Amino acid sequence: MEILQYSVRKLIAGIPLVLGVTFISFLLMVYFGPDKTYELLGKNPTPEQIEEVRRELGYDQPFLTRYALYVQEIATLNFGSSESSGELVSSLLARTIPVSIALITPGFVLGNLLGVLFALIAAYHRGSWADKFIMGASAVGMSISFLIAIIAFQIIFSSNFGLGLFPVRGWNVHSFGDYLSYVTVPTLATVFVALGYNTRFYRAVIVEEMTRDHVRTAKAFGTPPARLFYKNILKNSMIPIITRVVFSIPFVVISGSLLIESYFGIPGVGKVTFDAITSGDQPVLKAVVGLTAALFVLAQLLTDILYRAVDPRVSLT
Amino acid sequence: MSNGVADLTANGSELDSSVFGDSLWGKAFLKFRRDRAGMWSLAVVTAYALIALGVWTGVWGTSWADVSGAKWAPISAEHWLGTNIIGQDIFERAVFSTKTAFEVGLVVAVLATVLGAVLGAMAGFFSGSWIDEIIIWLMGVLDSIPFYLLVAAIAFSLEGNPYAMHIAMISTFWIGTSRLVRGEVIKLKSLDFVEAARATGVNQLTIIFRHILPNTFHILLVQATITFVAAIKSEVILSFLGIGVQDGISWGLMIAESTFEVLAGFFNNFLAASVLMFGLVMAFNMFSDALQDALDPRTVSG
Amino acid sequence: MSDGSEILLSIRDLRVEFATEQGVVRAVDGVSFDVHAGETVGLVGESGCGKTVTGLSILRLVPCPPGRIAAGQIEFRGQDLLQLDTRQMRDIRGSRISMIFQEPMTALNPVFTIGNQMVDVLRDHEKMTRRQARTAAIEMLDKVGIPDPAVRIDEYPHQLSGGMRQRVMIAMALSCGPELLIADEPTTALDVTTQAQVLDQIVSLQEEFQMAVILITHDLGVVAEVCSRAIVMYCGSVVENGSIEPLFEQPRHPYTAGLLNSIPRIRDDRLGKLPVIEGMVPDLLQLPAGCRFADRCGRAGAICIESRPQLNDGAGGQTAVACFNPIDVQQ
Repeated sequence: MEILQYSVRKLIAGIPLVLGVTFISFLLMVYFGPDKTYELLGKNPTPEQIEEVRRELGYDQPFLTRYALYVQEIATLNFGSSESSGELVSSLLARTIPVSIALITPGFVLGNLLGVLFALIAAYHRGSWADKFIMGASAVGMSISFLIAIIAFQIIFSSNFGLGLFPVRGWNVHSFGDYLSYVTVPTLATVFVALGYNTRFYRAVIVEEMTRDHVRTAKAFGTPPARLFYKNILKNSMIPIITRVVFSIPFVVISGSLLIESYFGIPGVGKVTFDAITSGDQPVLKAVVGLTAALFVLAQLLTDILYRAVDPRVSLT
Repeated sequence: MSNGVADLTANGSELDSSVFGDSLWGKAFLKFRRDRAGMWSLAVVTAYALIALGVWTGVWGTSWADVSGAKWAPISAEHWLGTNIIGQDIFERAVFSTKTAFEVGLVVAVLATVLGAVLGAMAGFFSGSWIDEIIIWLMGVLDSIPFYLLVAAIAFSLEGNPYAMHIAMISTFWIGTSRLVRGEVIKLKSLDFVEAARATGVNQLTIIFRHILPNTFHILLVQATITFVAAIKSEVILSFLGIGVQDGISWGLMIAESTFEVLAGFFNNFLAASVLMFGLVMAFNMFSDALQDALDPRTVSG
Repeated sequence: MSDGSEILLSIRDLRVEFATEQGVVRAVDGVSFDVHAGETVGLVGESGCGKTVTGLSILRLVPCPPGRIAAGQIEFRGQDLLQLDTRQMRDIRGSRISMIFQEPMTALNPVFTIGNQMVDVLRDHEKMTRRQARTAAIEMLDKVGIPDPAVRIDEYPHQLSGGMRQRVMIAMALSCGPELLIADEPTTALDVTTQAQVLDQIVSLQEEFQMAVILITHDLGVVAEVCSRAIVMYCGSVVENGSIEPLFEQPRHPYTAGLLNSIPRIRDDRLGKLPVIEGMVPDLLQLPAGCRFADRCGRAGAICIESRPQLNDGAGGQTAVACFNPIDVQQ
């Protein structure tokens, strides 16, 4: 089976990338990361006690041995328990990842859908006032920092100085109604910030497709506008669109939620990871780094397979 | 190329003009001058730069750290934008932050662009070889680590180094430039003048840095402006997360400070930093767009 | 001219403008000509002379913005195409007037099979089921000389050679039996042997389908081979219009004469000494007030600089020419 063979080959080809990611994370977060020796020691430790703890932590081992051990633990999914909370890393992730996904998905989906929609309006009326207005608004949106947007939306929608409609911070979700009330303001901020970039990107893609020869051919044969849009423009724009959407998934889950989770105090994977970096919580870091690298390789594989599905010129070899 | 190989090694700038036509820069300049939005944005950026220069030379913004008034003093003749929670003048702080923004933006933009240019040119010139493979691998690896995690990791591993944030940004922002330069160099290296230089046995590094890289300058210029904006925007978020500017004051630190104030109904700190930052980022974005338009060879020759 | 037969298409004073950064350019400026039913007309000129824009204007395909049909009429069987609404125009495109383009490599939608695209065209214009349309499409592919049409129909454009793709374009263009085919440099992008085959194909299908063809080309050799009449364009307007024989034997416009002289002839021993037309095509942004060819013309006089010559009627078996001082026909 073509796709299966291809997937296996592609996953094997992803190994250097995963090794690279684990290497850099090891270098930064473990080798040059926080030294935990003194945290584990009492007051006025003797040199022997220091020696003892360092041996336990593996600090006395040579660089490569430590790295090999680190990779081995990631490869065997042997993460153990969080050093700060004592919770099993697997259950920690199982608890926080769904929160992040629930938090970030509406903004991600809406940001892309609305981006394509506005881009279409702008591209179809190229040079008109509608185009100028949309692109002007995008330029403004792109110039507003994510953090500023979050604070502004919080003031407007959640605070007593604004509408006061939604909770100011936190994530106390027990029902769908709770979910909506907690997710709305973060979603608005995410969409607002993503929209400028997305609209600009998608407009460029769509304009490029609209000026292709085959679009003119289709017009010359009296193709109705709806089919022209679907078959000639949208279907041909799918490669750049898929690339953008799929590759942003690993980052949206970790990076994108980091700021929102920190700001609103939401217990998602982004916040957990950030706390792990600041406290040097190795088991959690190992798991997250391994997970992101794996997600990235999977995203690459997924895009390739999707390319094949939308474009017959792409071959999986 | 009629003037042959003799002057190939003599002067890089003569070669540039023979590759791109005599007046790429001249035409781009004229085109930029006609672009009204571009000229306005340049004026705004220049105004900000002058404010930053004034802070740097000690003309103004010197008392940003002084406690000169009451807590949350309102707008007055003495405190143009009021004071913050410990009574420091917000106007002074916002002005001083302009310098911080330029410092972060310039340091990161220049170094990341140089790094991207060098690595991209190496990868492009030796495309297909192990040098190229390694650089591509490095770009892929850095690309697949979430940005804020990488920055946080670098910041913590450098333990309070005031330039940790700069280093972190440089180590990721070079990638975009590098990819573009690599592609351009692959195109350029098959052109006549490079072949000719090779045939005469000119040192490979000389070819890369004297003959090829100068011809990617238009890409580097645009990328530097894009990186500048990215650096300023990242600073705000990193400073909020506590891994940004370590000493001094910045718009990001002001906004981080204001996150408590806004819930108490005091908006001056937030607005001052946000509006100033928005103005600079917007102007720089527009400047970058206009520059890109002016330097686009497709529109220059058309 | 093929007198007597019915006028199919009549273009009058067509003007097409393009907005550029330096100002408005008149790519087509006051073009008028007729096409009779069933005839093959060559629209000839150098690149940039407005011949392609004229062809696109007939189907109202001038890219807008930056282009715009600023003035004129394009009457097709007495109906002004420029007055139709977009819906009526869509019904004509691909059905009564078809167009094929220069670049067969990019003119087809790369992500659908050729069958899918042909079936769409057929079902847009004819009342057909999917199955009927597919059968008709296979028949058309067979007619244009595609081997194994029943297999090829399910292939994607990238699986076909350039010549094959141009044949597919022709099959698609003729599938609804148009009265007029506009062929814009249909063979320029193909290699020489394929060029001849595709050209022959167009000629034989033209006879079979009884349609008129406007062949847009810069290649006078092609015109001489397949056209009964040629319209020569220079700098956005028609300079000469007439039947092939007088036009090739006794060109009256100095530009036409120059063009003909610059064709290499195998009989000519003095290869490498081809006469060329001196000078440059004027900048469309700064057109001279008078004849646009004046500053390259050996016969230009004072009047040529001052005013623009109009196309005359070309009575008595002569070509119609826009020139104050045409080359006299040798008696």
